[in-house]
Amino acid sequence: MFDTERAKRDVGMNDIKVAARNVQVYYGDNHAIKDVDVDIEDKTVTAFIGPSGCGKSTFLRCLNRMNDTIDVARIEGEIRLDGEDIYDAKVDPVQLRAKVGMVFQKPNPFPKSIYDNVAYGPRIHGLAKTKADLDVIVEKSLRRGAIWDEVKDRLSEPGTGLSGGQQQRLCIARAVATEPEVLLMDEPCSALDPIATSQVEDLIDELRTNYSVVIVTHSMQQAARVSQKTAFFHLGNLVEFGETGQIFTNPQDPRTESYISGRIG
Amino acid sequence: MTDMTASGASAPVRKHATSLLAQDARTKRRNAAETRFKIYGLIAVGIGLTFLAVLLSSIVYNGVRGFQQTFVTLEVELLAAKLDKKGERNIDDIKKVSTFGYAPLIDTAMQNAVAKIGYDSPFEKAKEYRPLLSASVPAQVRNYVIANPDMIGETVEFRVLAASRVDGYLKGRVTRDSIARDKNIDAAHLDITDALHDEGVLKKTFNWDFVTGADASESRAEQAGIGVSMIGSFFMMLVVLGLSLPIGVAASIYLEEFAPQNRFTDLIEVNISNLAAVPSIVFGILGLAMFIQFAHLPQSAPLVGGLVLTLMTLPTIIISTRASLKAVPPSIRDAALGVGASKMQTVFHHVLPLAAPGILTGTIIGLAQALGETAPLLLIGMVGFIASNYPEGLVDGFVSPNSAMPAQIFEWAKRADPAYYERAWAGIIILLLFLVTMNAIAIILRRRFERRW
Repeated sequence: MFDTERAKRDVGMNDIKVAARNVQVYYGDNHAIKDVDVDIEDKTVTAFIGPSGCGKSTFLRCLNRMNDTIDVARIEGEIRLDGEDIYDAKVDPVQLRAKVGMVFQKPNPFPKSIYDNVAYGPRIHGLAKTKADLDVIVEKSLRRGAIWDEVKDRLSEPGTGLSGGQQQRLCIARAVATEPEVLLMDEPCSALDPIATSQVEDLIDELRTNYSVVIVTHSMQQAARVSQKTAFFHLGNLVEFGETGQIFTNPQDPRTESYISGRIG
Repeated sequence: MTDMTASGASAPVRKHATSLLAQDARTKRRNAAETRFKIYGLIAVGIGLTFLAVLLSSIVYNGVRGFQQTFVTLEVELLAAKLDKKGERNIDDIKKVSTFGYAPLIDTAMQNAVAKIGYDSPFEKAKEYRPLLSASVPAQVRNYVIANPDMIGETVEFRVLAASRVDGYLKGRVTRDSIARDKNIDAAHLDITDALHDEGVLKKTFNWDFVTGADASESRAEQAGIGVSMIGSFFMMLVVLGLSLPIGVAASIYLEEFAPQNRFTDLIEVNISNLAAVPSIVFGILGLAMFIQFAHLPQSAPLVGGLVLTLMTLPTIIISTRASLKAVPPSIRDAALGVGASKMQTVFHHVLPLAAPGILTGTIIGLAQALGETAPLLLIGMVGFIASNYPEGLVDGFVSPNSAMPAQIFEWAKRADPAYYERAWAGIIILLLFLVTMNAIAIILRRRFERRW
């Protein structure tokens, strides 16, 4: 039913990159995430699946403190990146987000040129001293985003003029340009057609060699195709977390089984 | 059970006529209602357009005459015996001769002009020609003499203003019936006017002095211009733009992007919206109390006018700026925050540029509103008749007493002489030109800088 070949092939033990313990998220009175413990490994694609409103995106946004921008959101528990608590009072979310990049559901390039889209992050973080350095970073990032060949002749054209799939790969290139260690992807393919989706999925698999990738997806096929680890969320709880092959072939929890077989969702 | 199923859940009964080619009664009624609504809409738009057409045509019809003025070409002999009795061409002595000393020369010149065209005048004395010319003429000639003392003793050709009654006669405002009881002018003067007009000595031409000139006294309608109050308006707009744009934009950015959502910011938000609806005269009396009586800023100064109008414009700018900041999609903010931009970088690098067209449009609309505002200016003393002197330099432009275009128009409209009435209309045309220009700029900016995302 699910193509988990790649997942089976690639499973291996890696270092723990992000460790979440006992995480609770409240939106005002609404308890959106309950008691989530999860270990995200380095150089691994971890998929978060679950029905709409189950809290998977919310949890993802905790990992780079994007929830800070929501006034009513309150987070408890502990999330450690390489052993450091990212919710420590001393942590500046801006520095954290340079280490934990993010790609969003809807492709959201800046209404600027393709070059400036990619160069913006390195510029504000001072990663390039000269224009030549910056050119190198932009080219490298666009190559990693698997979009270099398509845009190399029109770097000065607006990023918003690209097709949806190209825009999303541009956003991925923009996210990797700041040399993050973890890449969060919030339903990166939900606005894309199947061809663009398969391009982005191939790209995610490549990114795994350098980054720890966390992907939220509605498509269980996608989770099965690209991830090595899968976490199933339901009503704010982390129901089951394990190797992708095992989750899809031999789920331990009846709720997981119902969901992947299409009975709830 | 089987009966229930048969009667209750059977195939739905078809009530409607089955043919699609025939309209049923309900469809007909709905279509008729739609047609009626469209007709109401067309009538409403038609009424609106009619009013607009009537308004514009009456403004143009009444206002165009205000831009024309009757001038007389007059050869004045600058008699040395009268203007410089000592003959030393000493400028101080020349200045001692007041406009009363010039009046007889001009009367004589007018008499000669009438004689020159061979008109058989009923007047014996030169003084009797005086009602034909503006009372401003002696001052005009005197200023010329003081500037050119060497010309004393020569005969110089002047282009001088005709009296406003004469001007009105040529424009049809003054008729022979209407002057029956007028002490200023009589029918014989109008006969002379006709004769001079036929000969081309007296001509109705476009009057630049109306656009550039200063206000004049009530009795010299022909001399009044809107130029000085235009300068007053200009300096006020500088103050309004210089203060309300930075303050308004900074306040909106803070409120929209940085301020926490709590009771206090809600209160501020509600009050800003309320301030936009406060009558402008309230701002006027506030300005009188705060800026003039308390802070002792100069009365009638465009600086104070600008401050008052800034208070009035701020809510407009804040509301439109916040609306355009809100209209920037959150995905752009997410994108910037996601690559590690700080909140301020997000706002200034991404959100503000996208909101700029909206902010500029709101600012220009706010300025246009302020430009047309009259009531608060009257309260701080920027009444029309103040606009009689050009400011001397930049600083003086802000602090010396002046008026503004709408206050000037109001002043003219309330004066008794009907000659001022047409000037009020002409002033309205100039004001509207400014407003149309500003709105056009707003539209162009919006079109040019509007970006898609």
